[in-house]
Order: sequence, then C-alpha cells, then structure tokens
Amino acid sequence: MTDMRMVIKGIGVVGAFGSGIDALATAIVDGIRPPLSTAEVITKEGTGRLSVYRARTEGLEEFFAKRELRRIDHYAKMALLAASLALKDAKVSGQRQGTTGIIVATGYGPHRTTFGFLDTFVKEGNNFASPTLFASSVHNAAAAYAAILFGERGPSLTVSQLEMSVSSALLTAWCWLAEGRVDSVLFGAVDEYSDVLGYCWKRYFGVQETSQAEMRPLDFERQSAIPGEGSVFFLLRRNENQGRYGCIRGVDMGFADCGRIDLPETDLLFLGADGMRETGRLYPPHLSGKNNFLCHAPTYGSLPIGPAFDIAIAAHEIGDGAYLETNAEALPEKTIGCLKIGRQGEFSLVMLARE
Amino acid sequence: MLKDKLKAMLVEELNLEETDPIDIVDDEPLFGEGLGLDSLDAVELVVLVEKYFGVEIKDMDEGRIAFGSINSLAAFIEERSSVWAAAE
Amino acid sequence: MGGSRVAITGLGCVCALGPDVPTCAEALFLGRKDRVAPVRFEDSYSPTSPVFQVASPLPAPSRWLKHGVSRTNSLALAAVREALADGGLTSSPGSLRVGVCMGTTVGSALNSTRFYRGYLDRKEPDMSPVSRFLSNNPALFIAREYAFSGPCQTVVNACSSGTDALGIGASWIAAGICDVVVAGGADELSRVTYEGFASLMVTDDEMCKPFDRNRKGLNLGEGAAALLLESEYSWRMRRKPPRGFVVGYGAACDAYHLTAPSPDGQGLRQAIAYALETSKKASAEISFVNAHGTATLDNDRVEAITLHEMLPGVPFLSTKGHTGHALGAAGAIEAVMTMICLEKGRIPASAGFSVADPQLPANPNASTKEIVGSCALSESLAFGGHNSVIVIEHSND
Repeated sequence: MTDMRMVIKGIGVVGAFGSGIDALATAIVDGIRPPLSTAEVITKEGTGRLSVYRARTEGLEEFFAKRELRRIDHYAKMALLAASLALKDAKVSGQRQGTTGIIVATGYGPHRTTFGFLDTFVKEGNNFASPTLFASSVHNAAAAYAAILFGERGPSLTVSQLEMSVSSALLTAWCWLAEGRVDSVLFGAVDEYSDVLGYCWKRYFGVQETSQAEMRPLDFERQSAIPGEGSVFFLLRRNENQGRYGCIRGVDMGFADCGRIDLPETDLLFLGADGMRETGRLYPPHLSGKNNFLCHAPTYGSLPIGPAFDIAIAAHEIGDGAYLETNAEALPEKTIGCLKIGRQGEFSLVMLARE
Repeated sequence: MLKDKLKAMLVEELNLEETDPIDIVDDEPLFGEGLGLDSLDAVELVVLVEKYFGVEIKDMDEGRIAFGSINSLAAFIEERSSVWAAAE
Repeated sequence: MGGSRVAITGLGCVCALGPDVPTCAEALFLGRKDRVAPVRFEDSYSPTSPVFQVASPLPAPSRWLKHGVSRTNSLALAAVREALADGGLTSSPGSLRVGVCMGTTVGSALNSTRFYRGYLDRKEPDMSPVSRFLSNNPALFIAREYAFSGPCQTVVNACSSGTDALGIGASWIAAGICDVVVAGGADELSRVTYEGFASLMVTDDEMCKPFDRNRKGLNLGEGAAALLLESEYSWRMRRKPPRGFVVGYGAACDAYHLTAPSPDGQGLRQAIAYALETSKKASAEISFVNAHGTATLDNDRVEAITLHEMLPGVPFLSTKGHTGHALGAAGAIEAVMTMICLEKGRIPASAGFSVADPQLPANPNASTKEIVGSCALSESLAFGGHNSVIVIEHSND
C-alpha cells in the first residue's frame, strides 16, 4: 500500500443518474437505479436490443459557449462537464492558485470517435479521412481540451490501463503532488458507450432481454452487467486541512492470483464487481470473514472507470458523516476501501479516510 | 448556388451551430476574423472540398489561395471542376 | 523532482535503425539510407509517404496468450528483454518492487480495419482482433510476462508518451512507490495513424527533412525502447553500476490548440525551464538536445526558436530522420539515442538536414561532432499541446 494524503476539494460526476455529486448521492440513498436507455445492436441474427446506462451533457452549456464545444465529442464533453462540476464544487473559479496538473484515466478511450474516423476511409467508396475526427480520437484529447478550456498549463497525463486506469493514475497524481511538481491535480476518469461496444457486448455475452435487465453484481457467478458511460472528476490537493470530502490515504495495486489480497480493516468495503462473471468470481476468495461490503455498480453501470464512481461515493459518505446506504451515524474515524479486480487478475485498492 | 452550397457545408460539417448559412458574407474572411476558422478547419476543408466537389487541394499554399473567403473558394472550385465550372 | 537522480541501469531498443542498442548505436552514425520497405498494414494498403518499418524478427512471450500478441507488444517485448538483460534483471528479484510504465498510441486503441469492415458489412467478423486488443494492454502485458507486481501504467499522451513514461517512472522511484521501473514506449505502424497524419497534411511523400528549409512533414515509424530505472538502494544492492541517470523531467501544456503547437513555444519553454531547474543543471552544462524534430513546418519552427532562446549555442538534432516518428515509442527511443551519444561522447548529423531554413534562428547539427559534458536533454511535443523534456546524465564511472 502506498501511503498518501490527497485531500479531495471538489467532486464532479456525470452518469445515467444525472450530473453532480448530489445527484449521485441521492440515487444511492434512495436506492434508485437510473433509467436505462435502449441501444439497437445489429448482428447476424437481426436487430437486438441492449440496455445501456447513458449520460447526457446538456449541463455543459452552463460552463462553455456552444461555439467553444463545436468540435468536441461526447467522450470529451462528459469529461469537461464532470471537471467543470468538480471545480465548481470546490468553489474554484477564475485564477487558480499555483500549478494544476490534469490527469485523465480511461479504460477504452474515445472509441466512438475512433470508429467515426474509420468510417471516413474504411466504408465502401469512402476515402476521405477526417483530420478533425483523427485529432479527437487520440486518447489524450479530453485532457487537451480541459487544458485549453480551463487555461491550465501544467503537466498533463492520460492513462489507459483498463480496469486499473483510475488507481494507476492516482499513483502518479500522488507523485506529482508529493514532489511539488503541482499544487493541485484536476483528476478524472471517463469512458463511453458506442455501437461497436454494444455489438461486442452482444457477441461476447449474448442476448439480454431489456425488460429483464438488472445488474446483480453480488451474484458473483452471474453475467448481469449492463454497459455504462460517464465521467468523474476530483480536485486533489496535498498540503491542506481536511476538505469537505476527506482524503485518499492509500493506493495498493498488485495481482490477485499471487495470494489473498491484504484487505486492511475498514468500516466499509466497496466492491468494484459490476456483473461481469469473468471478474465477479474473482472476488469471493478475498472476502471470507467480511460482511461489511457493498456494491454500487447498479447506479452507474459496468465500465472500466467504475472505481472512480466508488471513490466519489466513498468521499461523499465520509464528508457527509453518514452511511448513504443505511443513514446510520458514521464513526469519526470512518475509513472506506474501494476494491477492483480486473480481467487478468490485477487488483487495486483505494483507501479513503476523513483526515 | 455553389456559394450557397459552400455556406451550408461549412455550417453543417464544421458544426458551426450558432451560424446561419445565410449570414455568411461572400467576401468576409473565413479564417482568423470573419468566420473565425482555424488550422484544423483548414485541413478538414481540404477533405470536404474533395469529397463534395471533387477538387483536390495539393498543399496549404493552394489552400491559402482558395480559403480566403466564400468568393475565393467558389472561384477556386469553378476553375478546377467541370461540374461546377462557372457559367459562360 | 527535488534534484533526485534516478539511475538508468539497462537499455533496450528496436526500431528502423536496428534490432538492438549496439546495432542502432553503430547505424546512427552511418548516415541515412533511403528506405523503400514493404509495409505491414493489415489490409495491404500502400502508403505514398515513406514509413520506417522494423524488419527484424520479434520475440514471442514466454507464456501462451489465447488471442495472440499485438505487434506493439512484440516490439515492446524485444526492447524490454534487452533492457532487462543489459541491467542484469531477468525476473522479479525477491524483495524488489518492479513497476512498468509504457507509452503507446496504437497499442491502446482497437484499430483493426478488418474487424470494423466486417462489423459494418454485418458479416459477423471474427472477434479475435477485439479479444487481442483487450488482452494486450502494453504495460500489463510486460508486467505479466515478468511477474512484476509493482505499479503498472500505460501512458497515452500521444507523441510525448515515451518521454512522459520515463519521467513518471522516475517520479515513482523518487517517491518510494517502487524500487525499479521498466519504462519506455512501443508503437507499431498502423493504417489508422497513417491516414490520420496524412489527413492533417503533415506527412512528406519523400524522406523527412527535420529542420530543413524544404521540409514538408513527417514520416511515420515504429519501434520500442525501454530503460531500466532504479533507486540507489536497488542498484547498490544488486551491485549494478548505472549507465546514466534521469536527473530531471519537465512537462507543461500549451493550452492553445488540439493539433497546432503554441507559436510562442510557451509550453516547451516551461517544460525546459522546469527540467533544468529541478535537475540543478544550467543550460551551459547541456551538451546537446535530442529534439522532437518531426519535420513538420510548425513543430520544427517552434522548437528551433525556443531552443535558440532557452539554450543558445547548444547543438540540437533530430533522430527521426533515422527512425521516423514512432509516436508513443519516440520519446523512449530518443532517450536511448541520447544515452548512446553521451556514452560515445559525440553526436551524429541531424539526418535529413541539408539546406538551412532562413526563417529559423538556428540550424541542427550538420556533421558528426564531439560533445563536451555529460548531460543532455531529450524532448517531445505532443498533439494536444503537451511538451515533455527529460534531462539525462551519463555516469562518470
């Protein structure tokens, strides 16, 4: 476990539940599963339907003029909205103090734009590759737009590490803060849905009756995942008194098949299980003897950056001083761990605490 | 006709949502001031001109001549395209 | 960075210059050969712009991978294998925590035009390109190949990924997160990136000419490079004297435009300044600069102007005339080139340069030259306006 203290000054979130940390908290407290969209997926068998947790970005109009956003795709818009909400939540506006680094974690990058770019020269009769689509299909486009639109000239990093993207990027965020390279990190994560992803979902997992679609991630042996999209951003600082949301106190990464994961004693454990059978079945061996675990994926869907949502929920709980799920009074030394296991057995554990 | 098509294409393809094609003035600059397009729009425009009008722009020296305004772009296409050749 | 030095104890490289560091080191000083090599694009597409392909055979991983290995990872494996052998680290050594930090562009996207066309035509395409993509994340691939249990990160910062991976790996060690990092970058030639750069009209249909008056743009390349970075505790314990050190890393955004660099070189200036300040090196101590030098009109102009201001009189060169622009691998390949030059005590001519550009305040190094001093900079400028600079020092031992 790498010990650290990154104070969370602000949180912004965008997902099927809506936008803003309060919308996410309300969805958890009220036990609301967000409305699902239906996507059409065309396979050899014909047109099927897939439930999807989709995110909307109209809220971006509060922060930027339409003209500024004209070339920006859905992937980057989700990121920009979450980042804007995080900065607003942190009550940071205009001139920021010190240098801010921008770090973006993504599992799959802007794949909808990648395929949109392929459309311009792969489709029959097309030989007109679009430079605008290419420029937006590079994984660091969201971070680049954030730097341009927020006027941030510090270092920038985009990480693509599948389910470990968030935790891996957090380690670098910590290093940048610890070495004084930056005073703040605008840290975020974003993943999107696309028709190609939906098609692959169908091919890998088969037909999913939309009327019965319901994520049940704690049925670890069952394939119940529903693809999701969205973005989460935090404003992180190091040398600061405790903020509204407490701190990230540690990140541990390793491989789950190298022995039992050393789970420290925490008041709560959030599991990153998201209805994917392939990874779901990897959790139980590490949970024996524990009964304080919860799973929030049904609120935001199955996507590689899921841990970012769990961290946001944990931070809000610690800040609010109440267990969102039970409304019980929280203990002052409350700690929450967020565990995620990836497809090749890699795991990450992010620890949050009040101080 | 050609100029109208060009204006519509610019608004649609470059996603100039808040601009009405009718409001684009024929001789106003497309880049810098005027419509305010930039270098990425310029290379996109090269692709669009070839795709919709069959006219190739070999490099940005040619592009600079063509992209001055709607007038210059229309003239550039008319000179090089049998389909869009200016009426005698 | 606080002036902490992170040791470089191993180097590995595979690119158009050669399949390993010694071959690249020799070829670097031999002048450029014209290249008209066949390309390996998936659907037998013939590009008009020259590409710098790796012709040598590539190793296979030690474990069987159900869906195969991507070419990007085969390149990465070749470089990492060499770096580990050079550093005398062949498997996860007991108590040492080894991390992996790799830059890539092609390796992080599903680029299979064959799969996509099958999807569009509703022909129920074989899913193996997708499965291969999902099981071939570069940093994870290397970590699993060698059972490294430290932090694992694939950096996707476009053209500066390789330099950033080195700087980040060094930061991890300085922060005590791990003892050793296999850091570098890998990228294979791909039709998708080829079409992309061609559509931006920044490619040259002839061999690229960095900093030359008649330059027209870049040529793409492929390859991989890896540096074994270590803490002092680790290399002393292993009794492996360093070849050199990473003494500084600076990174800054132009915050200007998605594809064009800031004309005033603002981000590059900031990155150079930070790198020098934190490495505690004055510009007079810098022997040379391995520039990004892609041969595009904009990049070379911004770099030449900025280097002339920040490091006047310090020779600079681009090695992309030898390797092409290998995107995510470029920064790592160029760090290896920088180490090679420091060790040899000389720099080659900047390949592809012959006619001075009167619009640039300085010209690149035009012939093999002895260098003075033990420190050099390697810099990368990325799409999206990110500028990364690394300061490398040759070991005096």
